[in-house]
Amino acid sequence: MPANDTQGLIRTRRIIYLLVAAAIIVPYVIQMPIPSFHAQEEAHKVYDRVESLPAGSRVLIAMEFDPNCEAELRPMAEGILRHCFARKLVPILVTTNYIAPALISDICQKIAKETGTVSGKDWVFLGYRPGMANVVITMGESIQRTFETDNFSQTTRDMPALAGVNSLKDVSLITVISLGDTVNMWIQYGSDRLKVPLVAGVTAVMAPDLYPYLNTGQVKGILAGLRGAADYELLLHRSDDAAKGMQVQSVAHGLLIALIIGANVRFLFRRAQGKEA
Amino acid sequence: MWYKRTIPLILVFAIGVAAFVQEFVPAPWAGRFRENITLWFQIIGSFALFIGLYSLLHMHWTRIRRQTPGWAYSIFVFLAAGGMIAVGLYNEGKGPIIDVAQGTRTWLDRGYDYLIKPCTATIYSSMAFFMASAAFRTFRARNTAAVLMLVAALVVMFGRVPVSEVLGGWLGDPEMFSRITDVLMKYPNLAAKRAIMMGISLGAIAQSLRILLGVERSYMGGGD
Repeated sequence: MPANDTQGLIRTRRIIYLLVAAAIIVPYVIQMPIPSFHAQEEAHKVYDRVESLPAGSRVLIAMEFDPNCEAELRPMAEGILRHCFARKLVPILVTTNYIAPALISDICQKIAKETGTVSGKDWVFLGYRPGMANVVITMGESIQRTFETDNFSQTTRDMPALAGVNSLKDVSLITVISLGDTVNMWIQYGSDRLKVPLVAGVTAVMAPDLYPYLNTGQVKGILAGLRGAADYELLLHRSDDAAKGMQVQSVAHGLLIALIIGANVRFLFRRAQGKEA
Repeated sequence: MWYKRTIPLILVFAIGVAAFVQEFVPAPWAGRFRENITLWFQIIGSFALFIGLYSLLHMHWTRIRRQTPGWAYSIFVFLAAGGMIAVGLYNEGKGPIIDVAQGTRTWLDRGYDYLIKPCTATIYSSMAFFMASAAFRTFRARNTAAVLMLVAALVVMFGRVPVSEVLGGWLGDPEMFSRITDVLMKYPNLAAKRAIMMGISLGAIAQSLRILLGVERSYMGGGD
């Protein structure tokens, strides 16, 4: 590549990076107003599914994410936990991601403090076990044998939060909040085998992968990315981190759209002048 | 050769077939077999952790020893790994087995909060910059297919943010772009994803059979 082109490329990159940084930081700092919006259909399905459960039902929440995607998935996790506690449901949290436990523990303790709920009684965080699909399969046999103690070293046998729950078959809903393709694992080895309904919350880039499962009814609803989390907050009549993130996302998406359109207008002009193939 | 090749092949075949068969057997022994397999997985995984750690440290030690370009960064691997292992073993003076009281912030927690969280979040979020730059430089309406992809991408990107409802409102339906996004996701995206999934699944079945039957042996190393 000629030296002039390389210099031009480096300059263009730097300008784009500065614009992206500004598009993310400025709306966050000046607290731009968020236009009113409606919750999307898929978020409604997740909300309705949780809403339809009778008080005391056990909801398994698989938190398959780590700090990489905390900004996108933590608001979802917190929203679902708040909804469960508001409906007097009993969340059973678990992860097969080895970096996740400290983050999940932090989320649990924050929401528990906010809602006045107690570990082991109103909720339980079973912790992490290696083995991915094998963990799901054995939880289908026995949760207590797969996790003899919870994340805080409390024995799971005779734990009030797990009363009447022997295996995954005994939970009323499986919720998977995931940054990768672990939703497939929970569908294939958990919900499908044991006929337990499943809803998912995933990053925006992973959401398209779940549409085949949504179409077949194997996934009952999806929260897709930060927008999905913001929709859930809207349904809960709250405005937390995801709703606030909508300002940033609106400006960043707007910038990206403007850049792509601008680049194509330039490309079409250059092609008309015979400078581009 | 029998020890290095035949025994692993027999083991892979036997365990593979057993794991496959138990999927279709609803008997109690099949459940117990699954539990045992999980236990074995955890034990083997623990050994893999040590091998992984050794491999990582060996690679970075070699870089430091040979002073290859960027070798100084390898020092941070030792500092970070050593530091986290030390505070994990120390565990606020209680050792690696006994849990500290619930709610207590240990040095391990602080390492997680102030090192792992910011570092991983930074690496992931820096992708936004690369993606913006790549989209600007490569997303071009060169032909009909590219134009279709470009328009679909722009609509989906726009339909995912609340501001689309403002523009939709001016055009008569606030949720217009959300609906178009839904159609794109539920039909063309679904068709493409399903085809890809089926292709991957068929490939996985073929590869599994090759491993079970000993045709594919690269997992044993040695290139044969």
